[in-house]
Amino acid sequence: MFIHNFKYAFKTLFRNKMLIFWTFAFPIILGTFFNLAFSNIENSEKLDIINIAIIDNEDLKLDENKGIKEAFEQLSDEQNEDRLFYTQYVSEEKAKELLENDEISGYLIIEENKPKTVIKTNGINETILKYVTEQIMQTTKIVEDLATEKITKEIQSGNIKIDYQKIYQDVLDIASQDNVKIKNISNTNLSYTMIEFYTLIAMTCLYGGILGMTSINNSLANMGEVGKRTSVAPISKGKVIISSLLASYITQLIGLAILFAYTIFALKIDYGTNLPLIILLSLTGSLAGLSLGIAVATLVKSNENVKTGILIAVTMFGCFLSGMMGITMKYIVDKNIPIVNKLNPASMITDGFYSLYYYDTFDRYFFNIASLLIFSGILILISVRGLRRQKYDSI
Amino acid sequence: MTVFKTFLKVLNKCKFVIILYTVILLTFGAFNMTTSENSTNFVASKPDVLIINNDENVGVTKNLVEYITNNSNNVDVKNNEDAINDALFYREINYIIYIPQNYRQDILDGKNPEIEIKSTGDYQASYAEMLLSRYINIEVIYAKEIKDEDKLIEKINNTLAEQTEIEITSKLDTDSLSKATFYYNFASYSILAGAIYVICLILSSFNETKIRKRTIISSMNYKKHNRILLISNALLAIALWIFYVIISFIIVGKTMFSIQGVIYIVNSFIFTICALTIAFLIANLVNNKNAINGIVNVIALGSSFLCGAFVPVEWLPASVLKVAHILPTYWYIQTNELMKTIEKFDIESLKPVFINMGVIALFTIIFVIITNIISKRKRKIA
Repeated sequence: MFIHNFKYAFKTLFRNKMLIFWTFAFPIILGTFFNLAFSNIENSEKLDIINIAIIDNEDLKLDENKGIKEAFEQLSDEQNEDRLFYTQYVSEEKAKELLENDEISGYLIIEENKPKTVIKTNGINETILKYVTEQIMQTTKIVEDLATEKITKEIQSGNIKIDYQKIYQDVLDIASQDNVKIKNISNTNLSYTMIEFYTLIAMTCLYGGILGMTSINNSLANMGEVGKRTSVAPISKGKVIISSLLASYITQLIGLAILFAYTIFALKIDYGTNLPLIILLSLTGSLAGLSLGIAVATLVKSNENVKTGILIAVTMFGCFLSGMMGITMKYIVDKNIPIVNKLNPASMITDGFYSLYYYDTFDRYFFNIASLLIFSGILILISVRGLRRQKYDSI
Repeated sequence: MTVFKTFLKVLNKCKFVIILYTVILLTFGAFNMTTSENSTNFVASKPDVLIINNDENVGVTKNLVEYITNNSNNVDVKNNEDAINDALFYREINYIIYIPQNYRQDILDGKNPEIEIKSTGDYQASYAEMLLSRYINIEVIYAKEIKDEDKLIEKINNTLAEQTEIEITSKLDTDSLSKATFYYNFASYSILAGAIYVICLILSSFNETKIRKRTIISSMNYKKHNRILLISNALLAIALWIFYVIISFIIVGKTMFSIQGVIYIVNSFIFTICALTIAFLIANLVNNKNAINGIVNVIALGSSFLCGAFVPVEWLPASVLKVAHILPTYWYIQTNELMKTIEKFDIESLKPVFINMGVIALFTIIFVIITNIISKRKRKIA
């Protein structure tokens, strides 16, 4: 009897087109949209080569400004690994036109031996142009300073034959040295758009609850003709419910497996390298979704549309808090009201994947797994209490 | 009047959907409206940097911390490694500098200690690294020659104080305009999803076989019936549009009282009408209420993701934008984006705006024609 009911529960679920659309197809469609929209975000946040112009006037050709010119030439050199600029040398009118048409971020003009930066609006490219100009001026100042210092020392030490050329050369060498020793110790897994896909998995796990809900509805006498027929059948209620729930849990896992396959192979999403733990998280996540579905089906005494509405609303709100509609949302909630996301199953799933991807330790991951199990346990317990001993004199 | 009354009755049942999409729009609208001061003076962009100082906060170390702090935004993060790592991942911090122990002494001894950093690798982080490198470079160069700490600090600060003159040409209030653009871009989702969903639900209620049969045998001319239905739905769409425009005045403020504001409004009106015709088309194609829900979600989310309603247009890959040309939302958003940069308003500069609006109008006409063809066929079958 168990197998019999399991088989038919399975068939009923798979033949329900709307259910299959929302639990199987919709996450895949949404994932495709995410991928199309977000695939370029992180690249566009990297520093691009900045288009600038330098006014080709008489002042630029003066010897005093050789430093500026050379520095910009070096920073615009295609061979240079740290290339910052693409520089055009143009007349002032032309530069104004380029700036007006947004073809350059700003231009540099040297008037009366002082460089001036002209930009259109505030922004990071503009800030960098200003910054580099200042850096060049500062280097010039360092050279002057150090040279003066050295010459003063030489004079103080009574040296009459001062080799100005040598001092100048020494100072230039010192000033052009790269003394910066910086070691980057950040984690390489820093791609924050991954969170979007983790919330997608979370959404799919919780949406799967609709399947469990439908199964329960089919065996509840007050939810329709099928329920009445099932209830009068000479078979223990436990068997009916457990076999239907097993069918919906498996359906849910099939949908999830398809989504995983699609996101991993077609969209190249990185879930970290620990496959057993990924599977464990998916299983517990789906269980949480299932128990949510059961709880809504049992505890809400209303028609199917209302139940579905509640389930979708809870899922979407949970996903919203865990960052689906804006990744920073998860961080804001985590930081300011952590208790909300500790109770939110969508966030537990998302955070579980996040900790697998970003952290080397597993404490946080197992904390999320435990939370999901507790969440599911509590909901199932409450539902069992609600499901037992239902009797109707007339219906 | 009977038709209109029924229309209102059905509409009343759908009010939850309209409220839902409006709340979404408001939430995201307000989310993005964090006030930042507009200014036509130069304001340097500041990266978000966190400094973890393991050295004593005196002398050269203190000076380094001060320099970085003055040129970056201070971020308040709990001092534990997990919180810091989270903040870096979610880009609340772009750059973390770990000043090692004994940094001050090492510098004064003429050594060049290594500094550990964490970086998000984006442009803000690159800029933060420039700031740090510049400081260290100057510090190390002077430290070789100058042994007195106070003099060293003075030299460093004097050098860093060298500044260039800067001039800003644009007089546009770009900040407020980007807010308006963001709001209207996002509104495309609410208009599309809200209007299509509600109108389809209402029309499918009228199209239910039993109700349809009852309407056909009634004494009312079917043309009149259809006309009233069309007008009521148009009224609904326009009411929705007016509602969103009013919200935009509240959220965006005085920028809406400008030529740009007028264009935003006109543009969204044309788009609303286009959404109305899409709704009629879908309602004619599909009668199943559940299926409508799926289709509306796919169309609205798809248009919004592909055309740049959610993610800024400049961040979308070029290939996606090419595909997006076949969607009306793309042309609508292009106009909004143009508003951010146009300064002069004449025939020449507004030409692209008119072209965009023309394309949306063209889409509208095409949808109307297809709807007519389909409904004519359907009537013959019935």
